[in-house]
Amino acid sequence: MIRRHILKLGTAATLALLTSLSHAADKPAPFDKPEDVTIALVRYLSTGDFFQAYLSGVETQAAALGVNLRVFDSRQDAALQADMLDQAISLGVDGIVIQHGLTESMKEAAQRAVDAGIKVVAFDVNVENEAIPQIEQSDYLLGKMALDQAIKDNGNSFTAGYVYVPGIAPLDRRHVAWEEVKEANPDIKEAAMFGTLDNPIANSVANQARAVLQANPDINVVFAPYDEFAKGVKFAVDEAGLSSDISIYSADVSTADISAMRESGSAWAATVATNPAVVGEVSVRSLALMLAGEDPGQQVIVPPTLITQDFLNENDIKNMDDLGAKLPQFAHADVAVADWIPLPPR
Amino acid sequence: MSDTLLNVSIRYGFLILLVGMLVFFSVAAPGFSNPRSAVFIFQSVAITGILALGVTCTLVVDGFDLSIGAVATSALMLSAYSMVILEQPAIVAVMLCLAMGALVGLINGLLIVKFRVPDLLATLGMMFLLIGLQRIPTQGNSIATGMALPDGSVAEGTFADAFLWIGRHRFDLVIERLVPVPVVIFLVIAVLIWLFLGFTRHGRLMYAIGSNQRAAALVGTPVNSYKVVAYMISGVTASIGGILLAARLGRGDIASGNNLLLDSVAAALIGFAVLGAARPNAFGTAIGALFVGILLQGMTMMNAPYYTQDFVKGAVLVIALVFTFYLSSRRVSGT
Repeated sequence: MIRRHILKLGTAATLALLTSLSHAADKPAPFDKPEDVTIALVRYLSTGDFFQAYLSGVETQAAALGVNLRVFDSRQDAALQADMLDQAISLGVDGIVIQHGLTESMKEAAQRAVDAGIKVVAFDVNVENEAIPQIEQSDYLLGKMALDQAIKDNGNSFTAGYVYVPGIAPLDRRHVAWEEVKEANPDIKEAAMFGTLDNPIANSVANQARAVLQANPDINVVFAPYDEFAKGVKFAVDEAGLSSDISIYSADVSTADISAMRESGSAWAATVATNPAVVGEVSVRSLALMLAGEDPGQQVIVPPTLITQDFLNENDIKNMDDLGAKLPQFAHADVAVADWIPLPPR
Repeated sequence: MSDTLLNVSIRYGFLILLVGMLVFFSVAAPGFSNPRSAVFIFQSVAITGILALGVTCTLVVDGFDLSIGAVATSALMLSAYSMVILEQPAIVAVMLCLAMGALVGLINGLLIVKFRVPDLLATLGMMFLLIGLQRIPTQGNSIATGMALPDGSVAEGTFADAFLWIGRHRFDLVIERLVPVPVVIFLVIAVLIWLFLGFTRHGRLMYAIGSNQRAAALVGTPVNSYKVVAYMISGVTASIGGILLAARLGRGDIASGNNLLLDSVAAALIGFAVLGAARPNAFGTAIGALFVGILLQGMTMMNAPYYTQDFVKGAVLVIALVFTFYLSSRRVSGT
């Protein structure tokens, strides 16, 4: 009899403990009542796989927290983005994620949000505000790690083709790594620099790359620090029948990129990437930390991961989900985490 | 004497410029003058060239088609969707795209002749509609084998080899594996449209509609039908361009196709100046496309950055328009 009672008590206690763990009774305010918390995502760029994946990361992390999410999409209209930020302020949201945009147009609107007592984080846009942490995927590291791999594979003396379009912030930051590596390795020769953002990018870059390869038959490494560039170069290399003579190093990854890298005899040797969905999750978690009165730090950097062709082949990785499963640091970044923040289910 | 000089410069000015450019790049850019390089040029202009030939047909009936870029990228997405997600064979994908192009052309034509919407506005509306529509089935994602679907499963279909053949196969011509399929398709379409516009009764009637619609109607031309047909030709050629793009890329990339539109319209307008035609014509369009292609290829080989290329493209267009409108008007007025 008594034993039965104790058993029951024990079960009840375990149950209570489990419930409290999953519902986290001691979440800090305001997350004890997450349904009353509303956050806004104010976007500048939205078209493309990267931005789509980023949005899905924001959505899943917001859902895991149980907060409401409002998405404002300005579709590359800088003035509209600032208006939308003001709209979010007047709606009385608790926190705002600014995703991309221009410093000049967003700086003042961001300040207005801070003045209104709203917590703000910014992803990949510098709004020059002490109160607003920067979420970044380190573009410099993306470029640097890809080039380190290129040097590891090809030695520090090779003839390179380089794909670059100046004036695009992430590409400019990746460019810094290229300049440094050239400086440090005088035997790396840049035979040609080309690049275009004409839509569809891969097709336009392929046309250029073919001309470049024709004019510079001695190129054996191509540094194309954006996956659309790399894809274009790969078409040109395939069409010129040079797949075994040229290695491509790039940044970013997608399911289609994985299959292009794994084609037999593919020239695409390696890419370095951060998972955009993870960056989205980190953005929301940083904002949550601020709402709870904690400090995520002035700069929140999501570290990139090196992905080589050999690794993909050895582990038979077919898509982004496989990649996340085989490369845990790709599926989750241990950045801006706290015990009370539930992670999205995988 | 100066009249003959003027006539010669109007007639052959652009072709002489073209030859001059070829000579210059052959000297200045190593590797420019060889058969492979020539084929590269043809390949790089094949897709915009095909679109330009379609837009030429609408220009002939004094219309304009702004939706061709969007039709091409819609065909790109549609072919990827039917093969990767619906797992259909290549022939179904191609047929679907062609049907889609024809249908879009039909709707464009009906909007213009039945509902009296001005051509620029009707096709502009269609352009936005298609840019949005092509993204709805995949919620804005590009289509590739292995992508996760909304219901949680993974897309198992692949681009059929027969389909990729359209974009990637090369025929032997003297040198092995030299001429890619898109180039052959481009040349075939160019010849067909050239014959159709220049040497058939239908083509001449279309020119008649373009120069004086009312007069053409009074002599009994079914103006509306010809206009609708012109837009359908434009839609179908644009979808062929999209198919070739998909076959080359091997995935369904979302893209607005605006650059395709602008480049092909530029080619068609440059075509006005070729041989002093001063009107839309298929031969001129093909030469116009090649002209731009040669210029870009040569400049890329000489490491010119992308913005100088846009600049030069614009300069060529302006010069071509001066050729067409100023010099030709002087020839006509006889001064």
